[in-house]
Amino acid sequence: MKNLRVVIIGAIAVIACFCFARPVLAFCGFYVAKADTSLYNEASQVIIARDGDRTVLTMANDYQGEVADFAMVVPVPTVLQEGQVNVGEPAIVQRLDDFSAPRLVEYFDPDPCEPVRLFDEAEMMLPSAAPQSAGRGAASDEALGVTVEAQFAVGEYEIVILSAEESDGLETWLIQTGYNIPRGASELLQPYIRQGLKFFVAKVNLDEFDRAGFQQLRPLQIAYESPRFMLPIRLGMMNAQGDQDLVAYLLTPDGQVELTNYRTVKIPSDVNLPTYVEDQFGEFYGAMFQRSYERENKEVAFLEYAWSMAGCDPCSAEPLNAEELRQAGAFWVAPNSSPWESNVFITRLHVRYSRNKFPEDLAFQQTNNQEFFQGRYVMQHPFLNGASCPAGREYRRSLPARFEQEAQTLARLTGWNINDIRRQLPAVGVRPVDESDDTWWEELWQRSSQLLNQFATAG
Amino acid sequence: MFRDARDYQILFLSLFLCLGLVTRDWTLRPAVIGVAIATTLLTQTLFSLWGSYQAVGNGQTGELVLPATLTGGSPSGRWQLAWDNFAFNWRSPLISALGLSLLLRVDHLPTMALAAFVAIASKFLLKVDGKHFFNPANLGIIAALSFTHDAWVSPGQWGEEIWYALIFLGAGGMVLKRVGRWDTTAAFLGSYALLEALRNLYLGWTWDVWLHRLSSGSLLLFALFMVTDPRSIPNARPARLIWALSIAGLTFVLRNYFYLSTAVFWTLFLLSPLTIALDRLWQSDRFVWKGWAARQSVIG
Repeated sequence: MKNLRVVIIGAIAVIACFCFARPVLAFCGFYVAKADTSLYNEASQVIIARDGDRTVLTMANDYQGEVADFAMVVPVPTVLQEGQVNVGEPAIVQRLDDFSAPRLVEYFDPDPCEPVRLFDEAEMMLPSAAPQSAGRGAASDEALGVTVEAQFAVGEYEIVILSAEESDGLETWLIQTGYNIPRGASELLQPYIRQGLKFFVAKVNLDEFDRAGFQQLRPLQIAYESPRFMLPIRLGMMNAQGDQDLVAYLLTPDGQVELTNYRTVKIPSDVNLPTYVEDQFGEFYGAMFQRSYERENKEVAFLEYAWSMAGCDPCSAEPLNAEELRQAGAFWVAPNSSPWESNVFITRLHVRYSRNKFPEDLAFQQTNNQEFFQGRYVMQHPFLNGASCPAGREYRRSLPARFEQEAQTLARLTGWNINDIRRQLPAVGVRPVDESDDTWWEELWQRSSQLLNQFATAG
Repeated sequence: MFRDARDYQILFLSLFLCLGLVTRDWTLRPAVIGVAIATTLLTQTLFSLWGSYQAVGNGQTGELVLPATLTGGSPSGRWQLAWDNFAFNWRSPLISALGLSLLLRVDHLPTMALAAFVAIASKFLLKVDGKHFFNPANLGIIAALSFTHDAWVSPGQWGEEIWYALIFLGAGGMVLKRVGRWDTTAAFLGSYALLEALRNLYLGWTWDVWLHRLSSGSLLLFALFMVTDPRSIPNARPARLIWALSIAGLTFVLRNYFYLSTAVFWTLFLLSPLTIALDRLWQSDRFVWKGWAARQSVIG
């Protein structure tokens, strides 16, 4: 495999997702300010680990504002007690992101003049990333119809679990308690109250936060049992303008997770791109995602990765060990079990949503779909040194067409100007048509060179 | 153009399948469709032949006049006669196979074969007064979901685009008009939409939430092509209306209070036996496909 080198540029892909997709982001609940500052969270990432009705939801905060102003309200299906809330490791979200990020891989063409052994050829065939198959104040509270079901502190957070009878009462309670919730919140809170959902309200205990010396807020994890497999997004659309991005890492024991009330579409994958894309993979992915999103009428969720956690090919990061999987909420993984035995399937869904195209909250379902998928983009480096043998000349003549093909693929996926792309293609250094006087039949039989040789010998 | 309404149904279901394959990136493989079609046709052939053999033995051979020497003869003679009398019904199994391919997703081929076998076998084995009461494709889906670990249905796969809805409504309307079962679809969709509207009103969602819940392509496909199978639903109109309302009600409950993404399929499965009771209460002529009536008496 010496002439086949696979380089993974996962980190760039991460940038692609969270830097180039820069619209204002908000979380599945909403952040509420305690002062009148406009607060927007930058990126929403959630991990949902689910087996049967048991669910562990990890909500990652990339909150950029003043910590004192941070607060969030998330509808949850059941009343949560202190033991059901946990502060997670910030690194775990990053680990899952790195592991499942869309990846750029590169291959090198061999010297066309070197005879190639057959088994090498088999090895050099591009492994297909296409589907492979393999082996989830009490008196006033009462008057407002708001019940504080539980109140406790976890790490740097202060948590209140509320149930409410009327949305107006809940809105009043939140305002009285010092949460400056967005205007019109009451209207949006009502459907959740009437569906019997509870409200998970979190804010930061500044003393605790300062004492621990954290640089940023750590992810909050909640564990509950409910047949509802959903993620509320409506509240989060209140304090954000335009499109929002959500990346959900869904861990199940059985297979892929998909949305039941929106289409789940695979992101374009397994395409050959011009090699210069290496330096701008982030821009490429951002542009391609946006274009795919528009092409699908802005109303689908994109599948970016679906794979058993027991393996990866190629790996963009070290596979997660049992401890990390448990940190991510995969409670069914036995501690200290080998990664190859871990019964975890990961689905990475990237949803870019807006109020008019995503009126309903996201509803998921586990499927038994074991098909593997990854967002994978291929650079095939040409062999540009020498190659003066007939096979080499043939190879070089084939390159411009190949480059053109790659350029057109890039233009089609990103909407970039084809002429700008063409200008950045590598120079082959050959005239594609009249490079050689040999006709193809002469190339086939090489009679002229044989004749010349004969003359030379005779002469 | 076609004499038999099932030909339209086959045409439209094939069209949807092609449309899905081309414009929707499903996890649908041609091999799976092939297995579905082959299994349904084979199962239908075997059961029909056996039915024909039995019928010959009992001397019930429909319109054929039999030579006296052949009746009640040796088993081989009986088989010969059964073969001669055997009329192959390829349309119904093909429709079931297309329905299964559209709705059911599997990891492995044997799962689809199981679903297809159960679908067709149920037509012959689960009968009351000679009428099967389970929708074959629906029963196949339930069997695959219950007995295997690699089957699922994807309710979100069609999305909500309006032109799909129009195609489904147009195509379904044509078939239903010929079959005369549009009342069932109207009652089902109407009452389901009403229930969802009431819920929407109660919860206080904006109306685009309601519209989004109803414009699901999968729901329309079910309403137009599965809940209306004229052979397995009640014969009399009042019975059909009650039946459609029950399906809508139970679907609503399973979807919104039990959070079942496969609510429609379970509902149809659970309520299918109701057909028998409703047929007893409201007597009416049983549906037969045009041009097929004569043969039906033989092969059932």
